[in-house]
Amino acid sequence: MEVVEGLMTQSAQLREARNLSDQSYDRQIRENVSSLRRVLSTKALGAFASNDSLLDHFDPVADSLVYLFLLRAQTQAFQEEFRENVPAALLPPGNLWSRIVSYLRTFDPVQVRYAGQEWRQLVELVAQASQVPILAVRLVRDAMLRLDPSCAVFTSTHLLLARLCLRARAYTHALPVLDRHVCHFPTSTPRATSGFSVLPCAAHDSSLSFITDTSGLSSKLTYKDYLQYFLCGGMIYMALKQWCKAAHFLEVVISMPTVGPISMIMVEAYKKWILVTLLEKGKLSSPSNLIAPHVVKLYQSLAKPYVNLAHSFSRGDLAHLEAEIDAAREIWCTDNNMGLVSQVLGAYTKHTVMGIKQTFAALTVKELSEQASPMRMNDEATESVIASFIMSGALKATLVQNSTRGSPTMLRFSEIHSAPRLSDESKAQSRLVRESQSLGSLMNGLDEIGYHMGLSNEFIDAVQRGQTWAGVGDVNSGMSEDVGLEIEEDLMGEVS
Amino acid sequence: MELPPLSLEQLSKLAASNTPSSQLFEILSQYETDASIMSAGSGSAETGAGDPQLLSLFYSSFFFAHLLTKQLPEARALTKRMPEALRHQDPSLQNCLTLLQALWQTQHAQVYQILRGLPWPESLQPLVRRYENFFQDDTLIAISTTYEAIRPETAANYLGLDPQAAEQGDSAIIEKFTSCGWTWDPAARLLRPSPIVVQPTDQTSSNGIRETMAMLGNRGR
Repeated sequence: MEVVEGLMTQSAQLREARNLSDQSYDRQIRENVSSLRRVLSTKALGAFASNDSLLDHFDPVADSLVYLFLLRAQTQAFQEEFRENVPAALLPPGNLWSRIVSYLRTFDPVQVRYAGQEWRQLVELVAQASQVPILAVRLVRDAMLRLDPSCAVFTSTHLLLARLCLRARAYTHALPVLDRHVCHFPTSTPRATSGFSVLPCAAHDSSLSFITDTSGLSSKLTYKDYLQYFLCGGMIYMALKQWCKAAHFLEVVISMPTVGPISMIMVEAYKKWILVTLLEKGKLSSPSNLIAPHVVKLYQSLAKPYVNLAHSFSRGDLAHLEAEIDAAREIWCTDNNMGLVSQVLGAYTKHTVMGIKQTFAALTVKELSEQASPMRMNDEATESVIASFIMSGALKATLVQNSTRGSPTMLRFSEIHSAPRLSDESKAQSRLVRESQSLGSLMNGLDEIGYHMGLSNEFIDAVQRGQTWAGVGDVNSGMSEDVGLEIEEDLMGEVS
Repeated sequence: MELPPLSLEQLSKLAASNTPSSQLFEILSQYETDASIMSAGSGSAETGAGDPQLLSLFYSSFFFAHLLTKQLPEARALTKRMPEALRHQDPSLQNCLTLLQALWQTQHAQVYQILRGLPWPESLQPLVRRYENFFQDDTLIAISTTYEAIRPETAANYLGLDPQAAEQGDSAIIEKFTSCGWTWDPAARLLRPSPIVVQPTDQTSSNGIRETMAMLGNRGR
C-alpha cells in the first residue's frame, strides 16, 4: 500500500510541475520515470500489480506516465502468471484490453516522450493481442498521430501500422500516416533549433527533437524496415487503385542506393512497379535516374517475364500479351502478382483507346472497335465501355449519339468539343494543395538537413556510425525478406 | 466523442438520419471495432458469433457509407473483412455483394434493379434510397460531360428511368433533363447535355496556395 501511496504522491507532484517552467517539468518527469522503472523492475507492487482497481486511482490523461507503467506492470504480471506473451486477460474485450484502448486514445503525448520504450511496447502488445487485426489498426494509427501528428520521423510503428492495415485489409485506415512525408530517421542527438529547447517536454517545431534513437519510441531500425514500409505502403495504395502514389512508394524502394547485390524486397518492388506503371501510364517508364545503370540491368534480368509483359503491352500486341500472361502464370502466382497482372490485361483496352487519340480526332464507335483489337464486343457494349472510361476521367473525349438507334455513335477526342470540366479544375486545385503540403513538409525537412550539414564533421562521423545499419548489399538475395506478410493480391477477382 | 453502444436501434437511427455521408462513415468506422469483437467471440457454426441481425445491419450500413463517400475499392475490402459465415448466409450482405459487382462493372441499369428490386431489411431502406438518389445524381453529372448528344432512352437507362417511355418522348422524363439545363431537340429526338457544374466545397484552397507561394518566396531570399 505504501508503494501505491508513493505513486499517488508522484502523480500529484507531476500535476503541479506541469504549471512550472519546462526545466522543472522535465526534471520532475525524469524523476518519476526513473522511480517508476525502479518500481517495475523490483516488482515493488507485489500483488497489487494484477489488481485492476489500482488503475481507478489515476487519470489516463493527467497521470499518463503512472498509468502507462501500471498497465505495463499488469501485463507483465499476467504474462508471468500464465507464461504467455499474450495471456487471455489481455485479449479483447477483456477489462485490461479496454483499459489499454482507453489509454491509447487519451494519453498525454508530452509525458510519454519520456517513456518511449514502455509506450511502444504497449502499442506492439495491442497489435499482438488483436486476434482480428482490424481491432488494432485504428488504435495504433491514432496513437501514432497523437504522439507525433507529423509522423515525419520514421519509426518501427510506421511499419507495424502498414503491415496491420494490409493484414486487416483496411487500406484507407493507413492513409493519414502514409500520406504524410517521412523526412527523417531518429537521430542519436536531439536537435535544438533557435528559440527551441532540447527538453522533450518543450514545444518543438519538429518531432525529430524527441523521437531519437535513445527515446525508445522506435525499436532499432534497419534499412529493411524502411524498404518494407514503402513496399507495404505501395501495396496499400495499389489496393486503393491510387497508382501514382503506389508507383512513387515503390520507386523509393527500387532506388535505394546500393553498392553490392540488391535485396529481394527491391526486386519484389521492381516487379510491382512495372505493373503499376503499366496500369497508370500504359507503358514501361524509365526508372528514376537515381538508380545506377548496372542496378537497372540487374533488375531487368531478375524480372524478365515482367519486362517482356511490359514490352508486349507497349507494342500493342494483344495476342502476344495474352500469351505472355498465360506462359508465366505460375510466376505471377508465386510472386502474388496475379491480381495486378489481370488488371493489366483489363487496362489494355483503356490504353489502346487512349493511344488511338494520337491518330484520330474523331471516329465512330464501330471504327474504334475495328482499330482497337481487344474490343471484341458489339457496338452498344463498346460505347458503354468508352462512356465508363470518360466518366471515370481516364479518357478526355465526348460521345455524340445519332437520333436513330443502330446508327453509329461518334467519339470525339478533340478538346474543342469537350465541355469545360470543373472537375478538372477541382482536381488541379486539390493537386496544388497536395503539392503545397508536400512542399511545406519538405521545407521543414530542409531545415533539419541544413542543421545536420551545419554540424560538418560531427555529421560525417554520425553518418559513418550509421553505416553499420545502412550496409545495403550484404543481403542473401535468395531469401524473401517479406516472410510473414499475408498479402491479398487478387484485387480484381470475382466478387463472391 | 463517446458513441452510444452499437445496437440495432442506434444503427436504425443513424440510417434514418440526415447525417452527412462523411460523418456517417466516420461513426460507423468507429463501430467496426465493436462489430469485430462481437464476431470474434464464440457462436453458432452457421452464422458465426455475435447477433447476426445486428452484425448484418452494421456491415450493410457500413457498406453503403462507403458507397456514399465514393470508396469503391475500400467497400470491396470491407466485404473481405465481414465475418465469412455471415457473408455467405445473410441475404442483405449477399445483396451488397451483388450491388458491388454491378458497380464494379459499371452496369448502371443493374445497379438500379438491385437497389429497387432486391429485398433489403426495413432498417436499411433509408440508406438504400439515399444511395439510389446519390448514384442517380452522380451519374447525371457524369453523363452531362460525357455526351454532347444523347438519345433519351440511353440517358434514361443511365438514370434508371423507363427507357421505353423516354424513347416515346415522355414529357416527365424529358423535363427531368431539361430542368438541368439540357436542351431537347424534338426534330432530331436528341438531348443535348449541358455540363452540370458542382462547386467545390473547399474554398480555402486558394489561400493555401498563396501561402505556399509566399513560403517559396521567402526561402529564395
